Amino acid sequence: MTPYPFTAIVGQERLKLALILNLVDPAVGGVLISGEKGTAKSTAVRAIAALSGRKTVEVPLNVTEDRLVGTLDLTNAVNSGEKCFEKGLLYEADGNFLYVDEINLLGTHISGILAEVIASQENIVSRDGIEYRHPCRCIPIGTMNPEEGTLRPQLLDKFGLFVNVSGEEDIELRTEVIRRRLEYELDPESFCARFRPQEEKLARQIIDAKKRLERLSISEEILRFCALAANSALCEGNRCEIILAETAKALCAWRNGAEVTADDVSEAAKFVLPHRMRNAPQEETVQQNTETSDKNEPPENTEDNSQTETEPPQDTALQEENSAEQNEKAEAAGDELPLSAEGIKSAAGKNGGSGKRSKTIANENSGRYVRSTVPHGKCTDIAVIPTLCNAALNQRRRTPENGMKLSVRPSDIRKKIREKRTGATILFAVDASGSMGAKRRMRAVKGAVKGLLSEAYRKRDRVGVVAFRGNGAQTLLNITGSPELARKCMDELPTGGKTPLAAGIAAACELLRAERIRTPDALQYLIFISDGKANVPLRSDDPFGDALTAAEQVRLSGVGAMVLDTENSYIRFGYAKQIAERMDAQYISLDEVTGSAVEENVREFINNE
Amino acid sequence: MDKKAYFPFTAIVGQEKMKRALILNLIDPALGGVLIKGEKGTAKSTAVRALTEVLPERDEVENCPFSCDPHDRNCQCESCRSREDLTAVKRRMRVVDLPVSATEDRVVGTLDIERALRTGEKHFEPGILADANRNILYIDEINLLDDHVVDVILDSAAMGVNTVEREGVSFSHPARFVLVGTMNPEEGDLRPQLLDRFGLVVDVKGETDIEMRTEVVKRYLEYELDPEAFLERWRHEQEKLRDKISEAQKLLRTVTYSDEILRLAAEISVSLGVDGHRADISMIKTACTNAAYEGRNSVSGEDMKLAAELVLPHRMRRKPFEEQRMDITAVFEMIESREGI
Repeated sequence: MTPYPFTAIVGQERLKLALILNLVDPAVGGVLISGEKGTAKSTAVRAIAALSGRKTVEVPLNVTEDRLVGTLDLTNAVNSGEKCFEKGLLYEADGNFLYVDEINLLGTHISGILAEVIASQENIVSRDGIEYRHPCRCIPIGTMNPEEGTLRPQLLDKFGLFVNVSGEEDIELRTEVIRRRLEYELDPESFCARFRPQEEKLARQIIDAKKRLERLSISEEILRFCALAANSALCEGNRCEIILAETAKALCAWRNGAEVTADDVSEAAKFVLPHRMRNAPQEETVQQNTETSDKNEPPENTEDNSQTETEPPQDTALQEENSAEQNEKAEAAGDELPLSAEGIKSAAGKNGGSGKRSKTIANENSGRYVRSTVPHGKCTDIAVIPTLCNAALNQRRRTPENGMKLSVRPSDIRKKIREKRTGATILFAVDASGSMGAKRRMRAVKGAVKGLLSEAYRKRDRVGVVAFRGNGAQTLLNITGSPELARKCMDELPTGGKTPLAAGIAAACELLRAERIRTPDALQYLIFISDGKANVPLRSDDPFGDALTAAEQVRLSGVGAMVLDTENSYIRFGYAKQIAERMDAQYISLDEVTGSAVEENVREFINNE
Repeated sequence: MDKKAYFPFTAIVGQEKMKRALILNLIDPALGGVLIKGEKGTAKSTAVRALTEVLPERDEVENCPFSCDPHDRNCQCESCRSREDLTAVKRRMRVVDLPVSATEDRVVGTLDIERALRTGEKHFEPGILADANRNILYIDEINLLDDHVVDVILDSAAMGVNTVEREGVSFSHPARFVLVGTMNPEEGDLRPQLLDRFGLVVDVKGETDIEMRTEVVKRYLEYELDPEAFLERWRHEQEKLRDKISEAQKLLRTVTYSDEILRLAAEISVSLGVDGHRADISMIKTACTNAAYEGRNSVSGEDMKLAAELVLPHRMRRKPFEEQRMDITAVFEMIESREGI
């Protein structure tokens, strides 16, 4: 299939520039493309590869280790008894684009390998009786949709540039997007032919820029500036300033500049810093800065430099997201902060280990097969290729029977290790009815959900919210691991009405039941937040009785439950405590209904379970 | 061939939007499939399975496990592409089932173990996605599918290619299918990523009109009593629909749209704040296909209305405590306010 031409892509200038810079100088180190659905992410990658005559080596999400890094050549081993290396994807990727679509969904093990190989530019294979190493100087390109969770920090940092894409809002551009796409689909050949002159021109321009790059040098002063920028963005490690300098150089060559200027660095910083900035959690800074939001303070001029004026104009809203200590570089990069803030906050890892409770290795025969091991005891989940490789290595001492080429013995058998994205499933059932504290309860849950999800990608936790009020329960937030989705769904939190307690508990049970079918390995927790005063029945005419019956269901389902009692009036009825007893739940009376209080209690509860 | 009798598609009472969405995808498989959301007992699965009988015929390469198109060199598997002498056979499009319990190996294909033991060679054994090429891939209860299986299906749906790099096999083959999913939203939602891959989404509800409900029961009982006679009675209708579909397929390539229509699609998407550009493109394609089905060769406002209804709702950003319902009347007004459409 003829890929869509690069020059026919409408808009998305930053994405296109980032890809071009990688062709001008592969030392720039690849691009991580983040953005909403349907924004030409994949199209652009395929197009640039075709334009540059490089291969796009695609790493599918379900890749297994043997195909990624390479393994023993089975056929050769069987037929000639020789141990040869069978090349994997990383071998092919050398000198080409290494492309991972939806890279944030890649399993821990595979993304670990990728991070290592991208950083060292070498693939060292030591498996299945094979020792082999080869260079792997690839241009890594990853795409991700942040709604699906963030990327692991160790892999995040391996991408030179970061681009956030979104759909074009301009009607003219948008119309053009549709028109071209439809034309292309109708007749790809002639569409591409029409753009061939532009494609060739761009290819030439890139080659010219590469030549100019060789002659470019970078002054001491500019290098200092790079270091300064990296420093004030609080980037970890020193990769940042190196990439910054390389990118600035590539930009300068591409723009046909005489020498690398501070402008080039400023521009480069927008690509290099966003995913590397260490920043205070976004939420808090937004709140802190809203008071000054309208002022659009000019960047501090206390440090050097004349470059401030040459900064492109920025959206005031973007500046707000930054914390106090940034310089102008950091601000320029501010538009991509949401990702970096979460990623890096978690990278700092304040909140305990990487989640003992979240089983990343699935123990049943489910989950994605990633690698193999020697089995202990009886093996039902055989890793075929490693088993056969083992057998092949031992063939010289065996005689195959029944016309088989291979004789396999029990000792050859290797077992599959599977990986699964599981963690805890935490479902909040919140009382949103008209009693006094409803608004506060809802806000607290919202805060807790955000807090829990901010490191969800690492612990693989998933969170959902069922709220009950009026005549029934509603799923406010379906069980999800996506902070993005949570933010969208919990934007508004209506409260008021009667208290259908039983319906709330029943709905939560039902949601957890469905979730168990989907992720049988995940541990489930129900966090029930209410003062326990029911006034809408579910089945009978006894609201509280129905609630107790529903609570009984929770106990029977074996879900780990906790009741956070928000009753704080002078006279306490202790309804919530009764419900907790019926659920066999841990009971905590909350003095203070805040997001952090709820979050803390939930964390402690889950870690102790 | 499959001899199992299905309830005739044309005999399904009501559910016009669902039926239309399915038919449009038969006419143009590039529309991106249909997701049918609805409570139990709303003829979701019946409708999908009934499609089997009205599916159009097309050319296939004989004995190709991927049902390659002998005339489209671009989208053939490697083996077909390397051969000059392709024998074409006529075959009907099929509905390929993907059970919720399917393992990844079965879905993407895997190593042919027997062959590996016999000869020591690694060969690819095609899976469900191979069957699905140029056919309909049907996933019942799609919202209960394992995450990692969903990922690979998404990947293939997006690229039209199934790339296998696992367990010693490195293989890729065309996998362009019409993805049809059914789900009961009470059992949980779909991931937004998967949702967006569906070109069209229909919400189905049980018919509430008493006349209609009576008709539903009547036909069902008739069918139960004597399926063969029932099928015979509906045969003419079925053939009519099949013909109409192939007529529309021919007409589709000639359907035109004005610049104004393109602008309108863009404006609708911007005003509703949908993510990305997929909605715009789907809207136009759906409108074109509907025009072809109605026997017209230019896109009208009515086509755009139907397209908007099928394409937009699932791409809107959601709000809590609200049914995920956009104001379709506002969109209709936008369409109606255009002169000359």
